[in-house]
Amino acid sequence: MSGCAHWSDDGLKSAEFKAPNGLIRIDLELDGDIISSISITGDFFMYPEDSLEQLEDTLVGAKADRASLLARVEDFYSSTGIQTPMMCPEHWVEAIMCAIGG
Amino acid sequence: MCEAKVRAGESAGRGVRTQWRLLPLRIDDAFTSMAVDESLLKLNAEGKSPNTIRFWRWLPSTVSLGCFQNVEREVDLEVAKKYGFDVVRRITGGGAVFHDHDGELTYSVICKQDDVPDEIIESYELICGGLVLGFERLGLQAEFKPVNDVLVNGKKISGSAQTRRWGSVLQHGTVLVAPDIRRMFELLKVSPEKISDKFIASVYERVTTVERELGKKPSFEEVREAMSRGFERSLGVKLSEGGLTSEELELAAKIKLKYASDEWLRKR
Repeated sequence: MSGCAHWSDDGLKSAEFKAPNGLIRIDLELDGDIISSISITGDFFMYPEDSLEQLEDTLVGAKADRASLLARVEDFYSSTGIQTPMMCPEHWVEAIMCAIGG
Repeated sequence: MCEAKVRAGESAGRGVRTQWRLLPLRIDDAFTSMAVDESLLKLNAEGKSPNTIRFWRWLPSTVSLGCFQNVEREVDLEVAKKYGFDVVRRITGGGAVFHDHDGELTYSVICKQDDVPDEIIESYELICGGLVLGFERLGLQAEFKPVNDVLVNGKKISGSAQTRRWGSVLQHGTVLVAPDIRRMFELLKVSPEKISDKFIASVYERVTTVERELGKKPSFEEVREAMSRGFERSLGVKLSEGGLTSEELELAAKIKLKYASDEWLRKR
């Protein structure tokens, strides 16, 4: 996987992850090992664009481990049919895991 | 690319080329330009606007932001204010771009989704193929670089962004004629240590302009003409000159309020 930087500030965990076709920036909060809030920004492409808000909604309440996150994101891809050229579920999970580690 | 060839070939083979509309070169503020693009996309989807290609410039110069970006993190708003430049959020993804009034020609292609390949990168290749042919008409050897760039001499000379809504496609992008690269780095939030002569030199290794490659700056009309002919060939269509309708302008005037709002600018 490509480069990742992460940091933490007053409970807000953040990361910037360089995916193949764009930078993914994550800002999230954890309640125990559950994601209680998440914001995704960056210069990537996602079709349709409204899906990003749905992806964030899908991730709230998710268990903050790689397998659970990957299952949720993969399910999101197949149920919505979103397209993210050169980027796949693993890239979002990598960015989120990077933030969790920060 | 195969699909692009088949489409163009099929049209040529029949001897009848579908007509698309070509709008005159416009110079507008960022909010109007974004609103015209969205108005055309919406009305094309509703069957009220034909497939359309247009070329336009930004007045004042503007920083546009990808729809998933955070403005505070990407743009130095104080510097933009100092120069009197606008800052606008696009409806398309991708990164922040400095659009120089004197140095960039911008294009938009609006068409039915059925008229381009479903696959995103293939559709970029088809539309950017028009730019590649346009650069060739200007005397430059150009190539498409997936996902959405056009290169000359291995350096980026055009970047595009696409959205698909309601069954239609909008793709807009830059043709770097002669932009002020140094000004770009003042406006975009690049860490200060990066804005060194060495860093700027490395950008010149990766980005180029028509002026630099040709050794002279062609007129915006010359570039528009070359790109229009390029799009005709890559899309296999005939462009016929036409103007915006009152319906398109009225809808654009309404949509403009969104683009000019602080709420939209700070959406993420």
